[in-house]
Amino acid sequence: MLESLLGNKTIEKTLFFLETYEQGYPKGISKTFSIPVNGIQQQLKRLEDGGIVVSSIQGKTRLYKFNPRYPFLKELKLLLQKAMEFISEGELEKYYRKRTRPRRKGKPS
Amino acid sequence: MKINWENINIENLAAIICEFLEKNNIKTTLVGGACVSIYTKNKYLSSDLDFVTESSIRELIPIFNQIGFKRKSGRHFENPRCNFFIEFPAPPLSIGNEPVTKFNFIKTKYGTIRLLTPTDCVKDRLAAYFFWNDPQSLEQAILVTKNNEIDLINIKKWALKENKIDKFNVFLGKVKKSRNFVIPKKYIDYIEGKELKEKDKKMIDMAVKKTVQEYGEVLELLGKE
Repeated sequence: MLESLLGNKTIEKTLFFLETYEQGYPKGISKTFSIPVNGIQQQLKRLEDGGIVVSSIQGKTRLYKFNPRYPFLKELKLLLQKAMEFISEGELEKYYRKRTRPRRKGKPS
Repeated sequence: MKINWENINIENLAAIICEFLEKNNIKTTLVGGACVSIYTKNKYLSSDLDFVTESSIRELIPIFNQIGFKRKSGRHFENPRCNFFIEFPAPPLSIGNEPVTKFNFIKTKYGTIRLLTPTDCVKDRLAAYFFWNDPQSLEQAILVTKNNEIDLINIKKWALKENKIDKFNVFLGKVKKSRNFVIPKKYIDYIEGKELKEKDKKMIDMAVKKTVQEYGEVLELLGKE
């Protein structure tokens, strides 16, 4: 959808993921889309170098989210939201409606 | 000019980098913690210098190699003899949603530094406090405000635009609390509990007597009523 603008599909998916879930870590994003973690890491580094995302360590995991100080953040998010309106219902269900509410440890899933 | 990389201070290093890049037709602006160091006379000391430039990192690598700085990762350079890192955060030069349009220029014996104005430096630090709740950035914003002439109205307008007026008020409250007062040098000994000079003692005695006398007169008048 935005692939030609952003350069590749992995970065597009990474951005859609962050727009949906607000934050993410490479392995989690890679598992969601079943794509190699290296590719995700590369794209996240590219986004971080560009000041579009920021990362911080939480426990042993490096978490990424949009950089609130990125001057075009509002416009970028609007573009992503618009593009996401064109995602099929099946794809939305599969990738972008994962459970995010808390779940007590030990509770059967 | 021979540069002593081991002992160079942050201001002179910033001037060397700005001047050197300018000679190579690269315009750059100092931002971040190094501005705080400069504006607070090193009350806060940053360990890195952040410069924003529109030039690409690829263009910068051969230029920095000439002065012994090697690219270490993404956007940062190191010289093993120098205690400071040089970093190039991604452009554009902005604070929040606003582009930076005014700059300050500080002349040193090594050249001129182009950097954020003190007011923009405070906004830059406050942005980190606003968005990441970073207490160190808040302290740095207060330090710069106490040591420089700052346009607080401009900052308030910006904070309103960023929808962060609550946090601006926290900052303002702390600035007011920690405001410096000018104390004449001759009273320092007295404040520190040291002996007063005879002349000062006489002046204080006179002031006390005068106050007591006036107070007595007022009481007398009240008594008559």
